[in-house]
Amino acid sequence: MVSGLSGVPNVALRDDELQRIKERLGREPSTVELHAFDAQWSEHCSYKSSRHHLTRLPSSGATVLLGPGEDAGALHLGVHEGDRYAIVVAHESHNHPSQVVPFEGAATGIGGIVRDVLCMGAEVIAVADPLRFGRADTDVACAQRSRSIARGVVDGIGAYGNAIGVPNLAGDVYFHQGFDENCLVNVVALGLVKEGELIHSYAPKGADDWAIVLVGKATDPSGFGGASFSSLTLDAEQAEINKGAVQVPDPFLKNVLMRASYRVFALLREQRMTAAFKDLGAGGIMGCSAEITSKGGYGAAINLDNVNVAVDGMPPEVIAVGETQERLLWLLPQAVVSDVLRIYNDEFSLPDVAYNARATVIGRVTADRRYTMRYRGSVVMDVESEFLTGPIRDELPYTEVIRHSGPVEELPAVDVEALFPKILAHRDVASREPLYRRYDAVVRGCTVLARGAADAGVLAPIPASRLGVALAVAGNPRYGRIDPGYAAEHAVVEAMRRVVAVGARPIGLTDCLNFGNPRKPEHYGQFVAAVDGLTRAATQLDLPIVSGNVSLYNESADGHSIPASAIVACIGAIDDVEKVVTPGLKEAGSTLLWIGSRELVVGGSVLAEVLGARGTLPAISYSGERASVGILHEAVARGILRSCRAISDGGMLTALARLSFDAMLRGRRIGAEIDFGNPLCETGGFICEVSDESEVDLTGALRIGQTIPGRELIVNGIRFEIPRLYKIWSQPLDELYP
Amino acid sequence: MSARIAVPVFPGTNSEDETVRLLRDCGGDAELVHWSKAEELALYDAFVLSGGFAYEDRIRAGAIAAHDRIMDYVMEAARCGKLVFGVCNGAQILLEAGLVPGTGSGRKPTAAFAKNLPEPHFVCRHVYLKLSIEPSRSAITAALPHGALVPAWAAHAEGRLAAAPEHLKEIVEGDHLAFVYAHADGGVDDAAVPNGSALRCAGLVNREGNVLAIMPHPERDAWNFNHLDRREGADVLAPSGGAVLFRSFVQAVSATQASHPEPRPEGACRRTRASE
Repeated sequence: MVSGLSGVPNVALRDDELQRIKERLGREPSTVELHAFDAQWSEHCSYKSSRHHLTRLPSSGATVLLGPGEDAGALHLGVHEGDRYAIVVAHESHNHPSQVVPFEGAATGIGGIVRDVLCMGAEVIAVADPLRFGRADTDVACAQRSRSIARGVVDGIGAYGNAIGVPNLAGDVYFHQGFDENCLVNVVALGLVKEGELIHSYAPKGADDWAIVLVGKATDPSGFGGASFSSLTLDAEQAEINKGAVQVPDPFLKNVLMRASYRVFALLREQRMTAAFKDLGAGGIMGCSAEITSKGGYGAAINLDNVNVAVDGMPPEVIAVGETQERLLWLLPQAVVSDVLRIYNDEFSLPDVAYNARATVIGRVTADRRYTMRYRGSVVMDVESEFLTGPIRDELPYTEVIRHSGPVEELPAVDVEALFPKILAHRDVASREPLYRRYDAVVRGCTVLARGAADAGVLAPIPASRLGVALAVAGNPRYGRIDPGYAAEHAVVEAMRRVVAVGARPIGLTDCLNFGNPRKPEHYGQFVAAVDGLTRAATQLDLPIVSGNVSLYNESADGHSIPASAIVACIGAIDDVEKVVTPGLKEAGSTLLWIGSRELVVGGSVLAEVLGARGTLPAISYSGERASVGILHEAVARGILRSCRAISDGGMLTALARLSFDAMLRGRRIGAEIDFGNPLCETGGFICEVSDESEVDLTGALRIGQTIPGRELIVNGIRFEIPRLYKIWSQPLDELYP
Repeated sequence: MSARIAVPVFPGTNSEDETVRLLRDCGGDAELVHWSKAEELALYDAFVLSGGFAYEDRIRAGAIAAHDRIMDYVMEAARCGKLVFGVCNGAQILLEAGLVPGTGSGRKPTAAFAKNLPEPHFVCRHVYLKLSIEPSRSAITAALPHGALVPAWAAHAEGRLAAAPEHLKEIVEGDHLAFVYAHADGGVDDAAVPNGSALRCAGLVNREGNVLAIMPHPERDAWNFNHLDRREGADVLAPSGGAVLFRSFVQAVSATQASHPEPRPEGACRRTRASE
């Protein structure tokens, strides 16, 4: 499987870590203990080289119900009929598994993130999938591999999310050379919970002697060594053997497991019982049971013989740390155990749904703060809980990334007529519909704006309530290549703009930091710069980061790191979904306003790539961003904002074209006539259609034209037929996703 | 006693909650009935089979569920003239159970909802259903206007009606083709069909008119907030759009109940309440 630095087969622990374990135990660790520490002290579980940086991220604020530290964070959404509701949000990566086995890797990514939200006592209401793939153009050598990954990942996400009945609400995809050997599959999930009914993932006070109940799929040998595997650099020769470390998805079982768990939540409410619930992820039974108990100051006594297994004869270390999917762990007061077992095993008949799936008592919570495991009558593990799960820290050296700077390059006049069709057909701009139409966007019946309909997806998740939630993601790898720190700031700003563009009020963020090898100071420096960038942007915009994930070692065998990829999701609250800004230009004769910075640079843009130009990234003015948000909120509140798009890849003209496409698709014959310096610049902002500009504060806005009857865009006097542009924009990815 | 509608839940069903919610918002008395409590189905007057992936869609969509215990009750109810309405996976199950078009015998299907073509994968796309029978042909559609257009979302990988030529002929001649796919303006052509379905079929009805199966989901475009850009100033929380078909179903359920105030004499078709 995986070979590690310590030289012990299948273990990635370093020699100094192994030595520390021997000294603390006063003996040689058992095989089970060795694998337990290997998983628990892996980068994947311990965040050992990243945690001390992550503490800089702002995570508090008026909207925060629960910050980082548990399986997911929670943000206050609003009040309906006297009840306070929260949105639970989690964000993860499944990059390494998806590179090796794309379908299963991506599907288990969705499976895992859904459990992270579920275990907070929440109903899972949405998923999102920011994706980064290598070059899929047919004329490069690696294209075949990139294409099969790009297809397998999308099929895996669709197969899983569609089956469990959770709508795919947001996502993005970029194709870039830097991901030829390391794709990125980030996943976000949202849940809905009444604030008083949140379930925590640690033992509460008074949990002594509570039952430890494992629920879900029978433990099998799949996913053994997954945590360590995710913390190693991918080696082409090892890829085939690494497949054994990837888990096997079972969305059918998950569908039933989710519904059964909702029933258990109701039972706990009825009986006014407290409990703890946690997803089994990295480190399997061991990792989950150790963390959920020790975080509450307890130990655990686990009997591995009680674990429901799929095959006989598995070694205890495989049962203990294997990462079989579709499992969760409850800590339950003894009084409620039999009812919970009945719900899972009889009412929802888990054993009939998947082979030997069930809920079963595997141990109890102990007050002695020791973590012990027994197997066939012998003690196979006996360590101090806190030593196993406590913070370990790896202070790695890093090279400080200097903020990319240079003279602002404003391009001379560009040939818009020739370039705009090329921009629209660019792989990072063209319609994503061929991809996302494979995802169920509307299951649950709550969808207000479906995936792809607008800059952010919107749900009305509470029956009979006008409250809405918006979700959008961002993280531009072209920016990441140029300036890792500033790219992270742009990701925050861009995700926020997308949520604002549908009329929502941004309430918080999550992030996933995808970077190279932390043991290379220049790669690690990019990570540190990105944390600084996120911190700056989130602080300036007063947006707390309530959950997140770090994925390191995204480095190819020959030492190349991926483009710095701080990927951000922004959650927005909507007090009344009636006020949502709907897609497409609405009426001829409206004023078109451009809101954003006046600095029209091309660095990092699609235009720069098409022209082969270089340059610095657009500057961010936080006061300007705050003012833009204020203008839009005001326009929404006064009912004068007819349509809006955030300016992103492809620039202002692409945003305007998409407003015109959406109008055309809804049968409206509306075009636009504008006059604007360089409409292909990607300097961020908004393009807005307003019915009345007389009361808009134009200090941050510029009138650039108006909507006109007919399906035509007239740009600085150049005429484009909207149906022709639509054809150019909508077809390029059909070839990859037929 | 108002007529009671059961929404049976198979392992793998995933659209049960919004289905119940819409039935209730349309005035129906609807409840979920879980597979482990299938015997409770005997207490209900009408049935809505909702979307999902029952039994993982193993073999073919709906093929395993068609033989589930739940279907013993549903088939018996259908035989007794009770109303049965299937959406998406529910439609696939009704087809696999032979209830629609119902031209075969027993649980032998005479048609299939096969893998979509030309895109042989899951497709999520907004569509319109166009009523292609006389509304009165089925009690479930009786409250719809002639040629009604019902907005809905197609969200399936297996929705292409496929059958041998003689069975397609039976569907047409027996007036089983309840709905076809259409554009927003009511126009019908191949471009409106998301899955290559034969006869552009989006829904089938049985001979007696009491069993209706449709592939797209009207319940996902059924409240004003689901289609803000088509709203007409109405309450965003009010049912509209695709709700028209569910409302017609609920009205039909109430009407059949009103016409049979007492349990009918023929034993198997009686409602058997635990208290009786």
